[in-house]
Amino acid sequence: MGQVISLLKVEKVTVKYGVIPAIQELELEVERGQIVALLGANGAGKTTTLKTIMGVLRPARGRIFYDGKDITFLPAPQRVRLGVALVPEGRGIFNRLTVRENLLLGAYHRKDQGGILQDLEEVYRLFPRLKERENQIAGTLSGGEQQMLAIGRGLMSRPRLMLLDEPSLGLAPLVVRELYTLIRRIRESGVTILLVEQSAPMAIGIADYVYVLETGVVKIAGTPREVESLEEVKKVYLGG
Amino acid sequence: MKRRIPQELWFVIGGLVLFGALFVAEKTLNRYLLHILILMGIYSIATVSLNLTNGYTGLFSLGHAAFMAIGAYTSTLLTFPVPLREAYDLPRLPWFLGGPDAAWSFFPALLAGGVLASCAALLIGAPVLRLRGHYLSVASLGFMVIVVTFAKTLKGITRGPMGISAIPLYTNVYWTFLWLFITMYVVWRIVNSRFGRALMALREDETAAQVLGIYPMKYKLFAFVVGAFFAGVAGGLYAHLTKAIRPFEFSFTLTFQIVVMLIVGCMGTMSGPVVGAVLLLALRYALKPLEEHLKLYGLIELIYALLLIVVMLWKPEGLVGRKRVSVRGHQERKEEGEWARFSTPR
Amino acid sequence: MFSLSYFLQQSMNGIILGCIYALLALGMTVVYGILRLINFAHGALITLGAFFMYFVFFRLGLPFVAALFLVLGFGGVMGLVLDLVAYRKLRGGPEVALLITSLGFYTFIENFTKLIVSPQPYAFKTPEFLATLYRTPYLTFRTVDVFIILSSLLIMLAFHFFVKRTKLGIAMRATAENLEVANLMGIEVNRVISVAFVLGSAIAAFTGFLWGAKYGQISYDMGFLTGVKAFVAVVVGGVGSIPGAMLGGFVLGLAEILSIAFLPTRFAEYRDGIVFAILVLVLLIRPSGIMGIREEVRV
Repeated sequence: MGQVISLLKVEKVTVKYGVIPAIQELELEVERGQIVALLGANGAGKTTTLKTIMGVLRPARGRIFYDGKDITFLPAPQRVRLGVALVPEGRGIFNRLTVRENLLLGAYHRKDQGGILQDLEEVYRLFPRLKERENQIAGTLSGGEQQMLAIGRGLMSRPRLMLLDEPSLGLAPLVVRELYTLIRRIRESGVTILLVEQSAPMAIGIADYVYVLETGVVKIAGTPREVESLEEVKKVYLGG
Repeated sequence: MKRRIPQELWFVIGGLVLFGALFVAEKTLNRYLLHILILMGIYSIATVSLNLTNGYTGLFSLGHAAFMAIGAYTSTLLTFPVPLREAYDLPRLPWFLGGPDAAWSFFPALLAGGVLASCAALLIGAPVLRLRGHYLSVASLGFMVIVVTFAKTLKGITRGPMGISAIPLYTNVYWTFLWLFITMYVVWRIVNSRFGRALMALREDETAAQVLGIYPMKYKLFAFVVGAFFAGVAGGLYAHLTKAIRPFEFSFTLTFQIVVMLIVGCMGTMSGPVVGAVLLLALRYALKPLEEHLKLYGLIELIYALLLIVVMLWKPEGLVGRKRVSVRGHQERKEEGEWARFSTPR
Repeated sequence: MFSLSYFLQQSMNGIILGCIYALLALGMTVVYGILRLINFAHGALITLGAFFMYFVFFRLGLPFVAALFLVLGFGGVMGLVLDLVAYRKLRGGPEVALLITSLGFYTFIENFTKLIVSPQPYAFKTPEFLATLYRTPYLTFRTVDVFIILSSLLIMLAFHFFVKRTKLGIAMRATAENLEVANLMGIEVNRVISVAFVLGSAIAAFTGFLWGAKYGQISYDMGFLTGVKAFVAVVVGGVGSIPGAMLGGFVLGLAEILSIAFLPTRFAEYRDGIVFAILVLVLLIRPSGIMGIREEVRV
């Protein structure tokens, strides 16, 4: 056995909107089975990072490796096939489709009908409320339910790497706690998670490794304990 | 502020040169060529005025022919000689337009045609412009169908499908190019004012413009109404040049021609529409003998359509445009791959 | 003064015209839903379909069913060609570029037909087995009327099934709602759009045949107003809603026929005007249409 290759490796990636760089020379690594948290204020470049990893945005410079393979120029649908799933910010569920249809679309690229139905049951087991609302139009769900649906839909693609973009946004504290329990369970089932959050304490609590972005640049990187002890993190992100 | 004076001067010099050239042209060209030259002027007015909505504001009106029809019929009914009215089955003017023994002179009749076209634009624009731009395209097209229907059916006023003939020949190079000059000046003034910048802001990003305090409805309606005015004038000039008008002349084909002229020239520039109008009319009259001798009816329109498609797909900035004003969006977008294009950030 | 049989007769005519509008609106609403494109070229496919049927069925004498499938296939291929040659290239740019290009393609096809075939209308005979006349006390109709209604219903049902039950159909609705997220789900958005064009265009070409068989005349410019009216049906029914588009088609067809049937004869010429008056009315009173979802302006 040689050196262990990390599941995701972002190498000196720069992404520009027009001429303005949104992220610059970004370096990031996610090991298998980890939950990695990516923190930062509004406009720090977190969503841009996720979209670039997903292949929706194209980097101006730099490389992205997934499972040791260069995927910098691979279109998004093919990345889905490789096992990357993005649960977008604001959930991005299809409001006019039913819950079930939304979930099935998560498995769009898969051909194994039996496996899909099995996973559907698995998702319903994980989120019983979705089962109850199976044939409802997704637009009628509550915010928390919609977030569950978005995550469930992400799971339907049988991802190896799941990118979660601010899942706790706009949810009540109780629902957020429930959500984080679920995220932990998803990791236990073997899915690696890159978690983007603005609110830090919960994310740091769950993560194996933490990156803090500031105006498109990685400012701090370390284990939760290291990061927590830093004064500036305490001040800005932990409210203490 | 400092730059405005020399630019105004430009207009004066340009105008003088233009009218000098027209004087020479009128003395040297034969009647057929002069006719084509005047048509070029009229189509230029139509195209420049369409540019105000379709080019600068980003609305896509398809009803320009209707405004031209309104202008053409209005001015014709006003100027038609009194002694001939009975013979041609045309009504006499009511008292508020001067009474049964009156016929208007050319200039006020043209103005009236323009004003009426503007009123029609107000009527159609007020309900539709609140909505997405696309509805304007369909509604204005529908408006055109309605106007043509009226021109065909209101026989007591328009003489129906056979149209009106024996219209006095008032249009000449001077009138035409004076109006073209006025149209371009007005459009130029609008575009280079606070108002014009608001229009272009709307074209680029309506929501952002709203955030800046630009109330879209007012601006869109204004552009639409002013554009209709000059279209009405162009219609009046056209009627008094060809001396005969029929309803079907003002249908989709005419709108389409003007649209092609605008796109091929270049939307959203000052010179583009004129270049487009002149070139495409020249092409039309060059091809006309071919179409007629070989009985290839539809050839000219086919070539127009082909030109439009080619320009849209391969040179969206038009003939005179730079990349900046392309209707296809910015250059960076083009460089991105197909897949990345779906979420181009702004 | 109007008898019941007159009313029934005119209603049937309205429903048949409604079928034609509904079929066209179906294709238009799917494309508009995804691309925000008013596809004027859709109207040109009616013309092309009608003339294609004329040549393969009447001139070449192919069997009816074979000719029908050829027309459907021909329409589909044309739709695919338009998408691949033109529309795909313009995606991601301003919506208006798509509109202008579709206008260009409409005019191109119209004048191509005029040049190749004839500027004069062609007489389109109803195929013999569809021409049998039936008289009942209340209603007089031909087999072709039944054929139009049944085939339209069949197509609409099939389309409904496709959109609700098949993977591709669900993906199509998802793409219409949010193209970016659909892309994230691994849906090849471009393929979905192509399928929408192919289906819509095949149906439009078939509609061209229905039109010819019913009204007995086809011409190079037959598709223009018909196509635009189909889009009016989309707006009336509610942009983005597939059942709405069908409903809009029937509403428009009935309104058009019944208004000229019950207004004094001199209003007959206002037929086209009435359709657009309805459009303006709907835009004024209920811009989202009968069944529409309020359209959020995409930025």
